[in-house]
Amino acid sequence: MAILNKILLKIVTAVVSIFGSLVLVFCIIYLLPGDPVLSMLDPSVATPEMVANLHKELGLDQPFYLQFLHYFMSVLHGDFGQSLVNRDLVLPKILEHFPATLALTLASALVSIIIGVFFGVLSAIYRNKWIDFIARLIGLFGISMPTFWSGILLILIFSVFLNWFPAMGSDGWKTIVLPSLSLGFVGAGLIIRMVRTSMLEVINESFIVTLRAKGLSERAVMYRHALRNALIPAITIIGLNIGELMAGTVVIETVFSRQGIGRIVADAIMAKDLPVIQGVVFFSAIVFVVINLLVDLSYSIIDPRVRRAN
Amino acid sequence: MKLVNQTKLVAILLVFLLLVSGCASSSSTKNSSSQETNKEDASKPKSGGELTYALATSPDSLDPARSGLAVAVRAFRTIFDSLVVQAPDNTIKPWLATAWTVSNDGKSYTFKLRNDVRFQDGTPFNAAAVKYSFDRILDPKTQAKNAVALLKPYQSSEVIDDYTIKINLATPSASFLSNLSQAMLGIVSPTAAEKYGDQFSKNPVGTGPYKFVSWSENADIVVQKNKDYHWGPANVENKGAPYLDKITFKIIPEEATRIGSVQSGQVLAAETVPPQNIAALKNDSKTQLLKVNTIGLPYTLFFNQRKGPWNDVKVRQAVQLAVDVDSIVKTLYLGTYERAWSPISPGILGYDKSLEGETKANIKKANQILDELGYKKGSDGIRVKDGKPFTLKYVDGSPNREKRNDIAVIVQQQLKKIGIKVEINITQDVATVIYKNADYDLYGNSQVNSDPNALSAIYHTRTDAEEAVFKGLTGGSDPELDQWLEQGTIELDPAKREDIYKKVQQKIIKDAWIIPVYVFPYTVAASKEVKGITFDSLGYPLFNDVNIER
Amino acid sequence: MKEVVNTKSVLQVPKWKFARLNTNFSVSNFFIYGAGLVVIFIITCALFPKWIAPYSPTFMDTAHTLSAPNSAHWFGTDYFGRDVLSLVIYGSRDSLIIGIASVIIGGLIGGIIGSAAGYFGGFFDVVFMRFIEILMTIPAVLLALAIAAALGPGLFNIVLAVAAASIPGYARVMRGQMISIKKRQYVDASRSIGTPEWKIFLWHLLPNSWSPLLVMATIGLGSSILIGAGLSFLGLGVIKEIPDWGALLSQGRGYLTVGWWICTFPGLAITLLVLSVNIMGDKLRDTFDPKISKMR
Repeated sequence: MAILNKILLKIVTAVVSIFGSLVLVFCIIYLLPGDPVLSMLDPSVATPEMVANLHKELGLDQPFYLQFLHYFMSVLHGDFGQSLVNRDLVLPKILEHFPATLALTLASALVSIIIGVFFGVLSAIYRNKWIDFIARLIGLFGISMPTFWSGILLILIFSVFLNWFPAMGSDGWKTIVLPSLSLGFVGAGLIIRMVRTSMLEVINESFIVTLRAKGLSERAVMYRHALRNALIPAITIIGLNIGELMAGTVVIETVFSRQGIGRIVADAIMAKDLPVIQGVVFFSAIVFVVINLLVDLSYSIIDPRVRRAN
Repeated sequence: MKLVNQTKLVAILLVFLLLVSGCASSSSTKNSSSQETNKEDASKPKSGGELTYALATSPDSLDPARSGLAVAVRAFRTIFDSLVVQAPDNTIKPWLATAWTVSNDGKSYTFKLRNDVRFQDGTPFNAAAVKYSFDRILDPKTQAKNAVALLKPYQSSEVIDDYTIKINLATPSASFLSNLSQAMLGIVSPTAAEKYGDQFSKNPVGTGPYKFVSWSENADIVVQKNKDYHWGPANVENKGAPYLDKITFKIIPEEATRIGSVQSGQVLAAETVPPQNIAALKNDSKTQLLKVNTIGLPYTLFFNQRKGPWNDVKVRQAVQLAVDVDSIVKTLYLGTYERAWSPISPGILGYDKSLEGETKANIKKANQILDELGYKKGSDGIRVKDGKPFTLKYVDGSPNREKRNDIAVIVQQQLKKIGIKVEINITQDVATVIYKNADYDLYGNSQVNSDPNALSAIYHTRTDAEEAVFKGLTGGSDPELDQWLEQGTIELDPAKREDIYKKVQQKIIKDAWIIPVYVFPYTVAASKEVKGITFDSLGYPLFNDVNIER
Repeated sequence: MKEVVNTKSVLQVPKWKFARLNTNFSVSNFFIYGAGLVVIFIITCALFPKWIAPYSPTFMDTAHTLSAPNSAHWFGTDYFGRDVLSLVIYGSRDSLIIGIASVIIGGLIGGIIGSAAGYFGGFFDVVFMRFIEILMTIPAVLLALAIAAALGPGLFNIVLAVAAASIPGYARVMRGQMISIKKRQYVDASRSIGTPEWKIFLWHLLPNSWSPLLVMATIGLGSSILIGAGLSFLGLGVIKEIPDWGALLSQGRGYLTVGWWICTFPGLAITLLVLSVNIMGDKLRDTFDPKISKMR
């Protein structure tokens, strides 16, 4: 029963967070300077009536709280408004482009985990040897390089010179390789550190010592037991950073001309397409809250220690 | 034990290498097969194939009436035809209209239309469709953009019979026919426009050589061959259905990626090649470089004459003398862009060639003028008058299109030499900063246009009512200039028009209203397999003759 | 994206037992000293660019544009004919300002919110932390993007955007730290001998809780510079007479195939600085305790 209450509380908290982020996003967008209507009209022909009509049509002539109320009610009905640029409905547009972004995010997470675990394990096995430091340096490089730069470098090397992978696009698995490498490299840095630390911890734990004492080969110890235990934190940290990985697509999708919500928000910012910016930021907030809620819930259900602690 | 670890490491590395080389070999085999050339029958264009064409930005709308971007025209020119076409020598030739007469007062045009044309959705093309297309632009519900200005001074249309239409203008207009040739006044299918309403921009239907298939945002726009097409305009060779089965316009904003895609063969052609890549691509055996100067108003820096000291012609002249346009164009565009000298670009009726070479940078003279006006250089090298430092607010838009932001950076250094401190403001919100608040001293802009009448919208004095909604770029007012511009709009004799516009150009330059900078060349890098990309008189690409030779 | 570093990397518990066991190994020290030298050198560049740079960063030698690195221009010249080495040296100032100022602002606000929430608990805690949680629902990069778009381009606006986006991370860490220290025996002991509450706060709680914040700030410095560069790339940057590294990198990226040196050196400068700062952050993290991990 207590667990049920706990879960309920968490869901309520999540809903409050989502509402809060809606208010926050609305405020930021409201504060954007400039009149969005002006960029919709042609300077040479617009008349004051046209401006006033558009204001009225978009509800921009109303006071702040009414505008918010109106937006809030529409959102409740699943209506995120219309793009100012081309009149597209915002929510269907986001839903249409979200899978591409999700695919890129997941592929990047996978790349992070592969690179991160590979170097993390190396780093732990050869702890404090040169290999260890080189592996960690590679990880640090990942988190120290602007993604747009590494992206362009990858295009030059792997598309223009080697012609192995396409430079752009979002159709087919090949197009996802370079962008996910560029984005995944960032997450890899975190994982290398994480895997190294947790493997070193695990190696010293009693069960590993017991396994070793039983005469199990070092290789078996490392890969069957230590690595498995190290993988869990690696996946956890990527799970926690999924929101940031997704936000990273804003830059990466532009560099590689991929479809996705990151690209949509980048374009919308350029075009001052407020409903779209609002929609995407709010949508990603929902995704973030839901993912965290699921992670939270799964912890408290799966892990007996957490359950008892609660 | 250590040995074990190392073999493991080697094994892991091997697996990685295998994976990588696996990818490599699969893609390289595919590549070599596509490069096999087929040399039979080179004389006759081959039908079939798909052209992939990379665009630099995303079109705003594929509805000719609702679009305000040149990039959109490049895509929807394939879908829509116009009543007339402007030949390279600026004469107007028939297209959907076979012949026309102008009334004596110049206020009404009667067009005879082709009777064998159908829209891509099967709707017959007739006078009613033409009337619908034009009336639709004026309907406030359409929220038309540039088309409204182009259609001026259109008043109404009368359907005389199915294939005859009379168009009434409020005033005579010398540029009307030329404007009609523009894609933004293309004829739309009335049934489709009614059916889709707001969404017509995503479901465009016209009479053009290609019909619309799909537009997936930020990815591509696909059009396919219109098999029934046989009314090609005078500026293409192939009047019939196009050779290509399909064109896919890919949207690739990032320069390096766009050029990389052509070089790696992922797309067959890409537009807007940055100057620094032009030289390299010219030497590339696999690619060809096409270049055409766009016409209209070249990229020009406008002084905001609403604010002092820019209402003083002498101050403007000093700045005009201090800005070394030659050096800017040479440095940034590496000889690929031509310098502009006049408020209009070469190739437009009335272009005044005598202005070329007239304005030369002269720092000494500029300094002298400012000295005479009482601007004294301070200890930091910045001039001061009445206790106020001499600053210039230079506004430009973001992103950095055609290296315009870089022009600002150079002008900043050049004006420093005459003691003017330039503050650069790069804004994404040009609409507010320029057109609403007029909060600038210098701002640059350009426009694609086919007729010198375009000058009128920029340089004619604006009424208070007009200014209340949108501020003009110059903020200046000159009765003489106004008079000439009004004459130019209605004068129907080309020779007299030329004289009028020459006076206009000279006056604008002499009074230093502007600093013209460069004429924008539209550039396309294409694989050598692609033949027959041509350009219309405005510099928009035409795909009627395109074929792919493998 | 790089933001991940400062908010969440605190998760892991690097008890580098082995590093301490093998004290005879010097590679670790080599990196720390190297990183320290790099940071000191960059700070020197930012403070006294005139002494180090061979040319004026604004001087445009239009006769020698796009020249490859040579004896006169070690890092080559850019498309304006400016000396890239001098630009990188002068550009260090704004880059460091973006990094340091946003970390200080974000750290201060986040730290104050977090410590107030942790110390007072109850109502304050609920309200502040709810607000922080809401801020956290929006990924830092997106938040910075939206704020930068709202404020318009400008060095200070970028600083504000990046700072605002990093507040939640600092606040959470500080709050957790405060809660854990509040319960320690010496605090109770001090209280029992009648030390006034404000003194306890200032003398015991604050000094003992700021170390994880310092670690975060060190690493946050790097991510701030990276976010700033990202904003530049997206066209939300500033055009200044002397551009910062992010702006140099994003403006020069179109020239990669014809003049690799234009954006490679600013890019390397960013990477080197962030790398060094991260190495130092790692070291700090090891030195200060592993308790940070519990903060989230």
